[in-house]
Amino acid sequence: MANIVCTMAVAHAPGLTGWLEVATPQQQSNLKAGYAELGRLLRESRPDVILGFSNDHLLNLPLDNTPDFCIGTAPEWYGPAPWFLDWLNIRPYRVGGNPQVARTLVRELDRRGVSFAFRDDLLFDDNFSVPLATLTPDYDLPLVPVHMNCIVPPVPSAARCFEVGAKVGEVVRDVLPEHLRVAILATGGMSHDPGGLRYFEIDEAFDRWFLALLENGESERALAECSFERFLAAGDGGTAELLSWFIPWGAAKGRKARVVCYEPTVAMRCGMGGVVWEHGG
Amino acid sequence: MSIVDVVRTLPSNQMVFHVRRDMALVQRFRVDLEGLMTSYGLAEDEKAAFRAQDLKRLAELGVHPYFLTQITRLFHGSSRNTQGSAAIQAYVKGLTGAAE
Repeated sequence: MANIVCTMAVAHAPGLTGWLEVATPQQQSNLKAGYAELGRLLRESRPDVILGFSNDHLLNLPLDNTPDFCIGTAPEWYGPAPWFLDWLNIRPYRVGGNPQVARTLVRELDRRGVSFAFRDDLLFDDNFSVPLATLTPDYDLPLVPVHMNCIVPPVPSAARCFEVGAKVGEVVRDVLPEHLRVAILATGGMSHDPGGLRYFEIDEAFDRWFLALLENGESERALAECSFERFLAAGDGGTAELLSWFIPWGAAKGRKARVVCYEPTVAMRCGMGGVVWEHGG
Repeated sequence: MSIVDVVRTLPSNQMVFHVRRDMALVQRFRVDLEGLMTSYGLAEDEKAAFRAQDLKRLAELGVHPYFLTQITRLFHGSSRNTQGSAAIQAYVKGLTGAAE
């Protein structure tokens, strides 16, 4: 059986790499320290592969046939997609993939009632580029990306994402090769409303409420109360990206997470932060 | 304006989806928007909203809100996308008719 050695979730807003300098000095300092700590924890867990779960920003999942989940099966990935280069202020990078792990997940999740679409031509914008640039700046940890539909309704529920996360954890533990070290990393959220009427607002109260649920390990309450409507109210266009965080939470069997950092960064038009589940197991 | 009001079949959504994936289409957006809109089958009210950068109207027609800011970046550039950037100011103007 393989081992889950790190379970983590982070926000990925483009301002973190693109225009962090306009945040307050305290916010800059706290986010730099927080993401450095998250990166240290991820790298020191020595994963052989990162299973990354992030919302798709209408860049890959076709509008005419939108799957809930799509896994990347390529042996290597290149990012950011060209149009996003100057926006993100991230240099072009290459990161390895792992087709065998990706295909195993597709096959085994099919057998557990979860259908992942799959393809080898996924493009990365801020969703994976910002986490990779900040957490693994050497791009030396292979990534199996999963793009999720969180912002083109209907989207999967928090309960469905938690269930999928549990089954991903099961496949990792029971089917992937023995001794393989696996990190599960979700990226997305926190409260924000890209393009919407609350574009220049952060719902700090919602963010702190959500983080408290994680810190207290209140997964059942989160599943009951994190309705799609609740996400919309906290930032119509983007807060539902937090559905991705239910994947590692499900894989971690609903355990408590530790909040490493959080900042309600209005200048970045997104609540920013990250959590880690203390025991990957 | 909400993501629940998106019209997935709207030609404008198809066009913006594809443009951001392909730098050749980004270039065409800049130099031949009329031809690009015609090739994607945009209706006249969609075309008029793009010409006027009328984001409020685009949202009413069913363009995904996430695309609205990306449309302003296609028109005005993406670099240093702070509140004071041309793209963000165009977003504010396109929704309210007045810059911040």
